[in-house]
Amino acid sequence: MRRLTKIGIVSLVLALIAGLAAIAQTGTQDVAIGGVAIDQPAPDFTLKDLDGKEYKLSSFKGKYVVLEWVNFDCPFVKKHYSSGNMQALQAEATKKGVIWLSICSSAPGKQGHFPIADLKKRIATEKAVPTAYLIDENGVVGKLYGAKTTPHMFVIDSIGKLRYAGAIDDMPSTKVDDIPKATNYVRAALDAVTNGRAVAVKSQTPYGCAVKF
Amino acid sequence: MPQRAKIFISQIIAVSALLALWPASMTASSSVVRDHAEVTLVCDREAIAPGDTFTIGLRLKLEPEWHVYWTNPGDAGLAPRLNWTLPSGFSAEPLEFPVPKRIPAGPLMSFGYDGEVVFLSQIIAAPDIAAGERAKIRADVDWLVCKVECIPGEAVLGLDLPVKSTAMVNDEWRSRFVEIREKLPTTSKDWDIAVRLLPNELELSATRRSASATAPRALHLFPERKGIIDNAARQDFSATADGFTLRVSKNKMFLDSLTELRGLLVADADWLGAGRKALQFVAPVTMATDSLPVVASVDLPIWQVLLFAFVGGLILNLMPCVLPVLSIKALGFIEQANQSRNSIAAHNLLFLLGVLVSFWTLAALLMILQAGGEHLGWGFQLQSPTFLVVLSAFMFLIGLNLFGVFEVGTSLTGIGNSRSAGRIGSFITGVTTTIVATPCTAPFMGTALGFALTQPAMISLAVFTALGLGMAAPYIIVTSSPALLKFVPKPGRWMETLKQAMGFLLMATVVWLAWVLGIQAGATAVALLLVALLTCSVAAWILGRWGSLAVEMRPRRIAQISAALVIIAGLVGVSGNLPSAQAAAVSAGSEAGIQWEPFSPQRVAQLRQEGRPLLIDFTAAWCLSCKVNEQVAFGSGQVQKRIDELDLVALKADWTARDATITRALAEFGRNSVPLYVLYPGNQGAPIVLPELLTPGIVLEALAKIEG
Repeated sequence: MRRLTKIGIVSLVLALIAGLAAIAQTGTQDVAIGGVAIDQPAPDFTLKDLDGKEYKLSSFKGKYVVLEWVNFDCPFVKKHYSSGNMQALQAEATKKGVIWLSICSSAPGKQGHFPIADLKKRIATEKAVPTAYLIDENGVVGKLYGAKTTPHMFVIDSIGKLRYAGAIDDMPSTKVDDIPKATNYVRAALDAVTNGRAVAVKSQTPYGCAVKF
Repeated sequence: MPQRAKIFISQIIAVSALLALWPASMTASSSVVRDHAEVTLVCDREAIAPGDTFTIGLRLKLEPEWHVYWTNPGDAGLAPRLNWTLPSGFSAEPLEFPVPKRIPAGPLMSFGYDGEVVFLSQIIAAPDIAAGERAKIRADVDWLVCKVECIPGEAVLGLDLPVKSTAMVNDEWRSRFVEIREKLPTTSKDWDIAVRLLPNELELSATRRSASATAPRALHLFPERKGIIDNAARQDFSATADGFTLRVSKNKMFLDSLTELRGLLVADADWLGAGRKALQFVAPVTMATDSLPVVASVDLPIWQVLLFAFVGGLILNLMPCVLPVLSIKALGFIEQANQSRNSIAAHNLLFLLGVLVSFWTLAALLMILQAGGEHLGWGFQLQSPTFLVVLSAFMFLIGLNLFGVFEVGTSLTGIGNSRSAGRIGSFITGVTTTIVATPCTAPFMGTALGFALTQPAMISLAVFTALGLGMAAPYIIVTSSPALLKFVPKPGRWMETLKQAMGFLLMATVVWLAWVLGIQAGATAVALLLVALLTCSVAAWILGRWGSLAVEMRPRRIAQISAALVIIAGLVGVSGNLPSAQAAAVSAGSEAGIQWEPFSPQRVAQLRQEGRPLLIDFTAAWCLSCKVNEQVAFGSGQVQKRIDELDLVALKADWTARDATITRALAEFGRNSVPLYVLYPGNQGAPIVLPELLTPGIVLEALAKIEG
């Protein structure tokens, strides 16, 4: 009887191992897909600013974060900077304690990519006031977030979940005249998350120039 | 006035008119050259007539490598826009965009045009404009032209067309416009297009309506609306017997529901006649992202899923498919009640292991098959006629054993003494219980199973473990508590009676399995099953007559071996000849007053478009809870009456045999098993998923909801 119990246990263990191995093998197909999803945790990243200072998204837990994909030479970006619209939004947000990260994914040699010195001047002349201007010249973070256009906006709440992704507003054009008529989705999303409300428009197809990866 | 003066004045007027209106006498406005683009208005008339219908083209000539965009520009960009300022009484049709092409840029994709592109617009002249007047047409145009960088352009273009009593055609542009029109996207009655929205994909299926329609070799979808698809992703085209399908990755950021899809299908070569490669279509979309359960099941925290699985396992003990097998377990339990507590605990542990190992094995098998591209779901093993035959034979043999035709223990395992054989028996009971339990997904389990099978291996394993623990929990609790053990009756003659009675329950289960097999594979299969059972009974008889302990060792062994051979020969012979599963349509209409129609995604799409409320019953013959629901809930006169009153269409998705379409439809609701009841309100609102166990009350309440 002892022997039989042993045989039983051994075969059980073998069956278990076989089952686990089989499951584990199929399980490898379920690797997490890259990219972001609304109402899901925003993937972490670390990027350097113009002074080489590192910014890590996860270090801003407890704060609201806006990501803005930028390329100063793109006409759609120009629309929002020449009118002062983007800067006003940046000031408004950072005053409330929101972290505003402008990210440039333009590859070296592509439009929007500048030497550091030129870039500092450019930020000064544009009067841009983000918390930081981050350089993503190998496009890793841009691709991680599926950034498609400049501008392409993301709003992340204080627990690190992505609450809005997409267009800055509902008037896809390069015309400054359209700005006063437009509904700004970023402002609306920030207003909702900072007041503990659900974001009404969670995603809108972004418009602008293609990110110059 | 002297004649000469008259001529002179008319000449001055003519010249000044020419000067003032230059390039009015031309059929093209002066070209405007901006960054990398030359923009012109061109017209197919030298002069128009009152009420004339003519065409103006907006022509953009681009430098090499520069492009402009289609109405949906893809990942970035902007379509050209044109605002007309027309003489009073004139009207203009919207711009007609030619067939766009895919323009890749790194990881992104644009939809647009390069080289020279002409956007056409039909203009209808006022019928009351007098001959001799001039029609001044102004167009405010803006566009975005991109290579890698983008430059917005703007221009005001004008045409000044003379009005005459009869129109004068510009031959060059008229023939160019004819050529352009021949290549414009076209609608076609030859193709029926339907779209299904899956969690990560759009599946477009085109069905040929006329025999003469030929399918293209390859094509791409250009949706009219931005942001629906992952523009840069590969599009999977495949030809089917009656048309083709195209699978396109969905944009993960697209959260809206979609009831119809508008767009173009652009083939690589001519497809709909000479020069025509683009089909313009509007297709209904079924199972839109508004199928909330998908989101709900994924959003559940893991502990909740585990709890659901555990509770589901507990409730599974009460399900009609599990009960007969559990009766065996209960009998063993009574027999064991007198043994030491350790011994009982060992039995129950083995029972639990039997349950767990078989749940893991089934899950692993299912995942491997799914990874291999099979469209299967939970309960898949019951979709196999061979499995049904083997299971029936197994149940039948246990039944015969309970009747006392042969002795289990020594004979079944062949080795060891009866006590250890009993322990293996406990393990086998665990295995059997699981196998017969799978068709019955109890309440709570649909969500847990659907969740488990989409998760990484370790999480699914945890879910199935919780399920098994839930199923075995009552026995473990009872046996680990001496107080509870006191309530277990003492063994005696009554047990023999109960045992035999349970035998009949098993025979009833075999009858049910035979019915399932009949639906799945027809009458021949049932006859073959009966042959298999006959062989089993012969083997059992041999075993009982010459294989008992009272018989000497040698003849006993011979009896055992020949019994085993008879069973194997019988099963192999029968399985080899079984017809494959082809679910005969269940004549459900006769069962209840509800007129069930067979389910198809196309029918769902059509009904949704018509705005009719509909009910989908995902069911299978081998699903006992489905059958119970159908009798209790859908059999109720009140429910039938309400369904009639609401003019609700009832669709039956019969999953008795394998059916990839139904498996996919289930998956859209985050499910992997039947039953599933989905109720769509008539107003295109979100569907309601009913619980797995129905009462007439639940159905009536849900029906009241969709009415309101």
